[in-house]
Amino acid sequence: MSISINRADFIHTAWRWLARNVTNNSSFSAYFEPLVQMFYTQWRADRFRSNVIDVRRESADMYSLVIKPNKRWQGFEAGQYIELTVEKEGAWVSRFFSISSSPAYFEQSGLIELSIRIQENGQITPWLPQALKAGGVVNISQAAGEFCLERALTPTLMIAGGSGITPFRSMLQQLARRREVVSQPISLLYYARSSEHFLFRNELKTFQQQLPGLVVHFIDTRDVGFFSEAHLLSYCEDFRSRDVYICGPSPMIVHARKVLQGQGVKQEQIHYEFFGPEPVSLDEDREASNVLFQQSGKQVTTDKDQVKTLLALAEEAQIKPVTGCRIGVCHQCICQKKSGVVYNSKTKTYSDTGQEDIQLCVSVPVADVVLEL
Amino acid sequence: MSTATNNARPDSATLDAFAQDLDQIRSTTMEKVGQEDANYIRNVIRVQRISEIGGRVALVLGFLSPIWWVVGVLLLTLAKILDNMEIGHNVMHGQYDWMNDPNINGKRFEWDHAADSDSWRRYHNHEHHTYTNIIGKDRDFGYGLLRLSDDTRWRPKNRWQILTYLNLSILFELGVAYHEVAGERIFMGKRRKTSNLPITRKELRNAFFSKAGRQFFKDYVFFPLLCFPMFLPVLAGNFLANILRNLWTSTVIFCGHFTEDIHTFKMEECENETQGEWYYRQILGSSNFEGSRWLHILSGHLSCQVEHHLFPDVPAHRYPAMAKEVEAVCRKYNIPYNTGSFGQQYLTVVKRVLKYSLPPKQVPIEA
Ligand code: FES
Repeated sequence: MSISINRADFIHTAWRWLARNVTNNSSFSAYFEPLVQMFYTQWRADRFRSNVIDVRRESADMYSLVIKPNKRWQGFEAGQYIELTVEKEGAWVSRFFSISSSPAYFEQSGLIELSIRIQENGQITPWLPQALKAGGVVNISQAAGEFCLERALTPTLMIAGGSGITPFRSMLQQLARRREVVSQPISLLYYARSSEHFLFRNELKTFQQQLPGLVVHFIDTRDVGFFSEAHLLSYCEDFRSRDVYICGPSPMIVHARKVLQGQGVKQEQIHYEFFGPEPVSLDEDREASNVLFQQSGKQVTTDKDQVKTLLALAEEAQIKPVTGCRIGVCHQCICQKKSGVVYNSKTKTYSDTGQEDIQLCVSVPVADVVLEL
Repeated sequence: MSTATNNARPDSATLDAFAQDLDQIRSTTMEKVGQEDANYIRNVIRVQRISEIGGRVALVLGFLSPIWWVVGVLLLTLAKILDNMEIGHNVMHGQYDWMNDPNINGKRFEWDHAADSDSWRRYHNHEHHTYTNIIGKDRDFGYGLLRLSDDTRWRPKNRWQILTYLNLSILFELGVAYHEVAGERIFMGKRRKTSNLPITRKELRNAFFSKAGRQFFKDYVFFPLLCFPMFLPVLAGNFLANILRNLWTSTVIFCGHFTEDIHTFKMEECENETQGEWYYRQILGSSNFEGSRWLHILSGHLSCQVEHHLFPDVPAHRYPAMAKEVEAVCRKYNIPYNTGSFGQQYLTVVKRVLKYSLPPKQVPIEA
């Protein structure tokens, strides 16, 4: 057994070595990619080219993409996310989205759904529905993520904020569709800005009939405010003995974790997932922003009155990125931005919110930025 | 400046206005960059792939008729020229980074060339493009082999530098590969006292050998062996394609930087440069040549060397359109703009190499 694995490894390594040496590309597929794209537009060697079957409006600011993944795509577990990549004006743009439908539904229909909230200033989320209306092509990654319901289900408390409902819909749909009876207690606290903002309302109500242990609370934050100790006690008294799953905007997650830990819920009981980048406003008077240097694990806060480039910030934090000209010419200081918005002082343009390469020496952080460095 | 000093440097207010006009050209161009540019570079890559594959197949068909072999050599030369010039050089300047395509990415791209792309990115993108034509800082000026201005002292060996130049041209890819290694005195000479190398000397040496070795393996071992009965013709064809590519690339680059009226600079002149002064130096340090669309593409648009030096990260196929505007702006401010036909420009290159192979008639008087 181990020999055959080694042999497969060896062949794989040798093949890659050959591709590198003979084509100067990372793989033979990368070398042939532009040719394949002549016949299959947007084909990517490292992604799964999939068709969009439908774009369904869910509410004023939400819609669902119904996608038929490529046959080689390996499926997912309820609660996992994928990276969606599309071509916009010649550029590949990628975003992470939780899958909002269940694996059982996928097995039956071959389809998955992504439920996406339109970000007001976003460059992608408002644009996608038009671009894909007539059945477009997108690339998806394999599913990933640890935010899944454990196999042996324990009593559970789910806390969803806004579009953070999507992974829970997938989980509950999965439980409801599975034949065996699930009777463990599950409470879902679903927060939204107003009653029009509750998604999948009818579907969630139906799940309550199908799953005897499930209680769903639709909580309108305008009426009763945001998640608090009081809510815990009134909606789910025995929360201490449950596994807690939280998904929503990042401030909500931070707040909910603090509240739960203050109430004595153990850290390993709390599972959470940040949901997409936050909407950004490019106002003149912006708040101080944080820059997180991922690999070195350092974080700095920028001073609003003293604008500094990312390169200067990194160097002040004792990180030494590769640099050259320091005036935006040589591209030696290119670094991958994982998320956040930067302003390029040379080209006088703002970046997008997602992943992309930026020049450290001429970029200034505008909203919280995460860098690969 | 040591040559053609009849144009005195404009005052700083003029250069500021000049810079603004150039910035304007840049931003109106960048607004247009998008799908069209992505399609363009992808199409060039397709042509490159097809000619490479076609060329390698045709070389093997050489046993049918020598014509096939010739076709093979030409296609392979074309593939290598496209890969190095319009694709590699431009992609590695970050011109297509906005596409977020890992295979067309400035930092990751590797080309069909003996030079390690990381090494090239360091000294070309940084040194040459930042310190263009500053004597002692930009080692691209004469490559340490040729005397091309009175800034360097005449030595007896300069008498034969036209031959050195021809040799360099034939072996150009090795010269490019060896450039940083030579600058860092890895194999011989006194170590540089200050080195800005972000990697160790050993890493630099290994990168040099591994990339050059890979290229050697590919063209002179792997493909000839793969087509075994045709071993020798394939080997010879690959060799010839590499040489032809070398001659072409070196000619293009010499025409972009070593024509008759090119200026050189001293470090003192360039300290604390404003954007306008920087643009001004870039314009005086480069020259264009004119020609058909194909000539532009095959030169990787280094036919528009001036625009490339002003805007190194703007997609290069936009340069010919920008060139018209840049030339007009230069005229407006009475700043020399160096252009001419390909043949003319090349003649002045040869003239320059010959001119400075002789000792200066009189010792230049230090100002
Ligand atoms: S250091 Fe040269 S572009 Fe940033």
